[in-house]
Amino acid sequence: MFLISEFVVLLTTNLILTKALGTSTLFIAAGNRKNLLWTAITITIFTTVGSAAAYLINNLLPGNFTDLRLLLYVIVIGVLYVVLLSILYFADEKNFGTTRKYIHVSAFNCAVMGTLFTISEYAETRPSLNNILSFVIRGAEAGTGFILSAFILMAAFKTLSSKEVPLSFRGFPAMLVYLGIISMAMYALV
Amino acid sequence: MTNKKRSLLDGLVSGNTVLSGFMVISPIIVCGNTVMNALALIYAFSSITFISVMSGSFIPKKLPYGLKIMIYAIIASIVYIPVRAAAEEFFPDIIPRIGIYFMLIAVNSLITVQTEAKFYRMTKGKMTLSLILHILGFDAVMLIIAAVREILAYGTFCERLVDADIIISGFGEPFGGFILLGLFCGIYRGICNVLSHDVDVSGGDADVSNI
Repeated sequence: MFLISEFVVLLTTNLILTKALGTSTLFIAAGNRKNLLWTAITITIFTTVGSAAAYLINNLLPGNFTDLRLLLYVIVIGVLYVVLLSILYFADEKNFGTTRKYIHVSAFNCAVMGTLFTISEYAETRPSLNNILSFVIRGAEAGTGFILSAFILMAAFKTLSSKEVPLSFRGFPAMLVYLGIISMAMYALV
Repeated sequence: MTNKKRSLLDGLVSGNTVLSGFMVISPIIVCGNTVMNALALIYAFSSITFISVMSGSFIPKKLPYGLKIMIYAIIASIVYIPVRAAAEEFFPDIIPRIGIYFMLIAVNSLITVQTEAKFYRMTKGKMTLSLILHILGFDAVMLIIAAVREILAYGTFCERLVDADIIISGFGEPFGGFILLGLFCGIYRGICNVLSHDVDVSGGDADVSNI
């Protein structure tokens, strides 16, 4: 029962299905299993580590400088981006050309930046959740939510990109309508 | 039309940022449900993207790719600060409604992906023209979709009542945005298909696999 309720929470708080954050990245991730695995891992790292950094920024930044929050989040994600690229380069130089694109895709997009802002907004409305552990958990949840959405899209990816779908709607337009229908179902659950 | 002219104009029609490139779609899906929201987002997107991409073109090309992308994102988030301050004067009631999507405009794919993949491979003059057309392409789609959604979902246009027979409130929600944008993409492709018989049904410009 616990797992079912957690699964429902993961669906209903899903940032892609409820806030459309990272939809373009999702289309890349759902293309094949390799894309899904790498994109999901890198996005989860960015959202989890980024959320911990966001907590520190929120608490250290004076109240009248909130407009600087975006700049500081971008700097944190930028540093993480360079660090991950360096790790990948030194760990597996041979495949760096292939694997680096997943870091490029995952770093500066709405899925990651949107997660940091959403978690911060949520913590502002519920002060009991304004602690680093809560930020990290919600950051990891956002990454898991991305994986879940990618699986949902992946299940229909081939069919929606096949010749069975009229040419004009094949691929991206059909996927948007499909995500809309799934999103509508989530909306009904809330 | 020559290929050169076509490639310059593709941001407006055939290579539209949203309908063809599949980029910057989150603000349209979630916040593009009224014309006033659309105007605020158009202002934010146009000013942040134009100033950031033009400023970023002065960054030395010899720097590593990852470092350049990081610098472009930092430039955009610095440009965001005065743009946000001005927006609070022009659209005081709209900014809270848009919420985080105003900030997310600063990390849009035109700045973080298309700069290196497209714009900075052009000469300054062509880049400026192409950038303006890409921005106008986004603005047009945002405005049209927001107008249609506002009429369908709320029976208003620019917050004024119109004579709408049917109101479907779901079009004001994110799922309505997904569905309507999907339908618009299909119609746009159908029109492009009829006009040019040349439609790309794979990928999208947000994909960086070619880098």
